[in-house]
Amino acid sequence: MLASVARGDRAALDRLYARTSAKLYGVVLRIVQRREVADDVLQDVYVRVWGQAGRFAPDKGSAIAWLATIARNLAIDHVRQSGRFVSEDDAKLAERADEGRSALDLLEHDDDARRLRSCLDALEPERRALVIAAYLDGASREDLAARTGTPVGTIKTWLHRSLKQLKDCLMS
Amino acid sequence: MTDGDDIEMLAAEYVLGTLDATERADVARRRVREPQLDAAISAWERRLGPLATAAAPVEPPADLLDKIRQRVDRADPGAEVVVLQRAVRRWRSIGLSAMAAAAALLVVIGVRETGREPPSRYVAVFHQNDETPSFLLSIDLAERRVTIQPVAAPRQPDRTYQLWIASDQLGARPRSLGLLSDASLTTAEIDLPIDVASLRTATFGISVEPKGGSPTGVPTGPALHARLLRVPQTN
Repeated sequence: MLASVARGDRAALDRLYARTSAKLYGVVLRIVQRREVADDVLQDVYVRVWGQAGRFAPDKGSAIAWLATIARNLAIDHVRQSGRFVSEDDAKLAERADEGRSALDLLEHDDDARRLRSCLDALEPERRALVIAAYLDGASREDLAARTGTPVGTIKTWLHRSLKQLKDCLMS
Repeated sequence: MTDGDDIEMLAAEYVLGTLDATERADVARRRVREPQLDAAISAWERRLGPLATAAAPVEPPADLLDKIRQRVDRADPGAEVVVLQRAVRRWRSIGLSAMAAAAALLVVIGVRETGREPPSRYVAVFHQNDETPSFLLSIDLAERRVTIQPVAAPRQPDRTYQLWIASDQLGARPRSLGLLSDASLTTAEIDLPIDVASLRTATFGISVEPKGGSPTGVPTGPALHARLLRVPQTN
């Protein structure tokens, strides 16, 4: 379908949108938090997909993973530039952190997802919550520091250790 | 920590999303010219990718697809560039020399299937360098005709410009549309040998050839750099 989009097939873009927009809107909305912002970002996502569909390489992963990467990148770029988290209250952050822990239950059940899940489970619970909050909510180091009452430098160290541990686990 | 570790962690945090705006922009710029960083980012995207499915789907507003269609319909340089890149690969594959291929960007009539009447006129600007336009090529789809107009094409004492078209309908090799010799460095109109449907995916190129044109039947000399501009519909 992405190949058809790359050739400029409008009908293929419509079909792609029908199949993927709810998923990508969910990804974007979770990061940007506000619907009117998510609307704009999702438009940007599909306009970019229309322009760059020819760059999708099927041997490097699934179409939905490629689309989700574009959606996350645009959403995170947006919140980094607009500084969303500064104005958000802590109660809401804590609420979302809880969601983060249960979010793993929503993971799809293919092999890659299962392996990632078991490697995430192997992290210490607080570290795991940081990684998930960063990935799903688009939390920056500063957001995570504020959320946990931990210095930013410590957050960075924790993240690096967690990421290395994840990589070792996934490659083993 | 070694440089490799630095790159690995930078890539990991880029994908995780924890870098600040400046760092993100910096990584996005660097990955274009640093294959090691780019590969590390792709690897982390694969590793963490399944986590994206943990965000619950939410139905977007009903009118969003229409807004996307409208934006795609408007001037859409991103999409043209993709088609252009594909066109360059195609021309390379038929034997443009490495040097010529590096300089070559070919014009694409990137008419999209809009489901409505596509714009019928396109203009391509051929550049010898980034500043000076050499030729203007305008393409009239309805009339199946191109008009080639020299702008600041330098005269080539012992050589000649040659205009080419490539299209599936014409086979694997580009076909010459004629020489743009010194004497005729004036506006020329050329009828196109293919139907409108094929024209929509055809590409054009201008190469610099020996007097009398390419001795091999395909472009041999340096090709001119071209950019495509879509002419806004006036009717």
